[in-house]
Amino acid sequence: MKRRDFVKGFAVATATATALGQQAPPQAKNPVPATGTVDQGAQAVAPNTASSPAATTRMQQVAEFRTPNIPVTAPDIVATTDVRYFTAARYATLVQLCAIMMPVSSDYPGAIQAGAPEFLDFLLGGSPTDRQAMYNEGLDRLNADTVKKFSVAFAKADAKQADAVIRPYLKGWINDHPPKEKHERFIALVHREIRTATMNSPAWAAAAEASGERTPGVGLYWAPIDPGIETWVSHGTPKASAPVARQAHS
Amino acid sequence: MADKKVDVLIIGSGHTGGLAAKILTEKGISCTMLDAGPMINFERDRTLKPASQLPYRGFDAPGRHPHIFQSSEFSANQWVDEKVIPYNYPVGQQYNWVRIRSVGGRSPFWGRQSFRHSDYEFKSKDHDGFGENWPISYKDLAPFYPRVEGLFRVSGHTDGLPQYPDGNFIEDNAPWSGAMQRFVDAGKKMGVPVTKARSARGVGGLAASINLFIPDAVATGKLTTIPNAIVRQITVDKNTGKTDGVIFIDRHSHREMTLKARVVIVAAGTLETTRLLMISSIANSSGVLGHYLCDQIYGAGIAASVPEARGGKGGRNVTGGGALIPRFRNLETKTPGYLRGYAVNVSSGNGPMDARWFPEYGPTLDKKLEEYNGSGFTTNIMGETLGHYENHVVLNKQVVDAWGMPTLTISTKYGDNEVNMAKDMVDTTAAMAEAAGFEVLVKNYEFNPPGYSIHEQGTARMGDSPKTSVVNKWNQSHDIKNLFITDASVFVSAGWQNPTVTMCALAIRASEYLAEEMRKGNV
Repeated sequence: MKRRDFVKGFAVATATATALGQQAPPQAKNPVPATGTVDQGAQAVAPNTASSPAATTRMQQVAEFRTPNIPVTAPDIVATTDVRYFTAARYATLVQLCAIMMPVSSDYPGAIQAGAPEFLDFLLGGSPTDRQAMYNEGLDRLNADTVKKFSVAFAKADAKQADAVIRPYLKGWINDHPPKEKHERFIALVHREIRTATMNSPAWAAAAEASGERTPGVGLYWAPIDPGIETWVSHGTPKASAPVARQAHS
Repeated sequence: MADKKVDVLIIGSGHTGGLAAKILTEKGISCTMLDAGPMINFERDRTLKPASQLPYRGFDAPGRHPHIFQSSEFSANQWVDEKVIPYNYPVGQQYNWVRIRSVGGRSPFWGRQSFRHSDYEFKSKDHDGFGENWPISYKDLAPFYPRVEGLFRVSGHTDGLPQYPDGNFIEDNAPWSGAMQRFVDAGKKMGVPVTKARSARGVGGLAASINLFIPDAVATGKLTTIPNAIVRQITVDKNTGKTDGVIFIDRHSHREMTLKARVVIVAAGTLETTRLLMISSIANSSGVLGHYLCDQIYGAGIAASVPEARGGKGGRNVTGGGALIPRFRNLETKTPGYLRGYAVNVSSGNGPMDARWFPEYGPTLDKKLEEYNGSGFTTNIMGETLGHYENHVVLNKQVVDAWGMPTLTISTKYGDNEVNMAKDMVDTTAAMAEAAGFEVLVKNYEFNPPGYSIHEQGTARMGDSPKTSVVNKWNQSHDIKNLFITDASVFVSAGWQNPTVTMCALAIRASEYLAEEMRKGNV
């Protein structure tokens, strides 16, 4: 849509909304079915109110209004994610693990530049407790192993020291089956998730665009359908399991 | 007020509900089809998006679908949320119940693998003594399979294997890629058949009830489709003992409504069908309703690399393509350790390798991924599980769903039969891959929990005896003659096959039987 079209369309919508708010009761006897928009819906609950030719015309205008094209930006481009979940020591271990497992390359950001540690802190903060425990214990174990072997925290370990505590637990895996051994499982999953958080980040997508490569990670996204299950979670009554006695209808 | 009695009421609009609607309406019989979910609208409900634009970078909200391994942030909204319609299982017996509630059911989302059953499945008890035979044999369904394959536009190759009956195919005579040919040859030396996969092409890549079956029913002018109608009870006329319709709840408002019908077909999907029958307290004079739940094991397999394709040197003649190893164990010989058999999905890819396959990280991993690029080769099991009586579901009246309906407790587990089967599959396909000159990168003997395959079958099985089965060989309830079930709950055993084409063949057969019975005035 050209800019002048957008301005015109916006003016019409504003005028319509104002007029609908002042709508006098119409007289028509043949209501026109509702076709959309919040304002019209509010009128249509009393069908006669929405049935005047003028109201119908305005509703049709509003119904034909098309969404203007306003470019939007992912928040990660301009803002940072607050770190809230991991303790300082665990978070430092995670940051170091991110730096080691997915460092920056010539064309693409590393996990740090992609905000993977902050994102994983956010993700784990809302995760089930068994998942949180796996991360907490895995990060503690990495740190403890490094201290034991090299008398240095994992967060301060050099690449060789870090490799010495990671590599013994690296295993290949397929499908939905990471290794069963506890620490091997943590290493497999944290590695997987650092890669995912990095490669699905806005920073990675921007780097792909800058280098002329196709947008990564494109999939078919399903929106909530008509209108989404959250409604049913909060919609408590009436319950069909306790039907009221059948009432007589006139 | 409406005071109608519809001719045939169909509960569920997936493959078998949609097919029943098509067959019956084309014979002039009016049908009303209810679905518990909304009408989907591909233009409105789906969008191509990069994961970087999703709130959780593709991970989805933590813990949202703990039992749906197939879920991602892209697909999360299409699945039934277990907080809305809960179910449970005994400690240590995880069950992954994967459900979709929208018009078309799971049919827009299936894998489209299209395999006929054979008498190795229909007469499995005769073959190995376990379980029960089906009350039908291959020859009973043989006239119906080609019709299903025609509707689905199944591509495949004619192989002449008794355990993998040929069909009405769009013939696939494409040559194997070099890597696949070597795998085929390795199989021949080991007595393992490797065949072309058989897959429903559908139309535009979609082989669903909503695009292949229901539009034909709509075209007759005799189909009424009502979305958002959650059937909470199938009702029975106390005087006749026959069903006389249903009570359903509007999904949005929870308004309760009654719909009268001359005949009811239940096609809600195996466990939803059984749940509804249990809630309605019908069709269970045998006492076997809810029992003999079975499916297939998935997840075990191997990942390998085709050496000559590495570094992106593959291409159409070197790598690429899919194949199927149909069941080959326990046919004419006996394999120690387990009954029945498994099939294997085989895939050779030309794309990037999966980072999980390499025990590396950082720049070393990047180097590996570059070096091995385009050389991937995988095998994945589809193994028949045994439908023991103990694998069952019961109603849980203490936990109700968002519409107040009792939920299910699902008690099922796998045993040594499945463990031994998976081990044999991994060892056999790894040996074949090595014989073909591939490098085996990962072997995985572990398989997924029950339910994962989304091929749940049984719990309302068919049979000749009303004492040991829920429906007869025509998918007709033994107890209620005007009640039919067309989904996979009627299966007697699982087989290794994707159940869809057999479900559909049974649905056509049952619908034509029903139409004839209605014409004769018997129903």
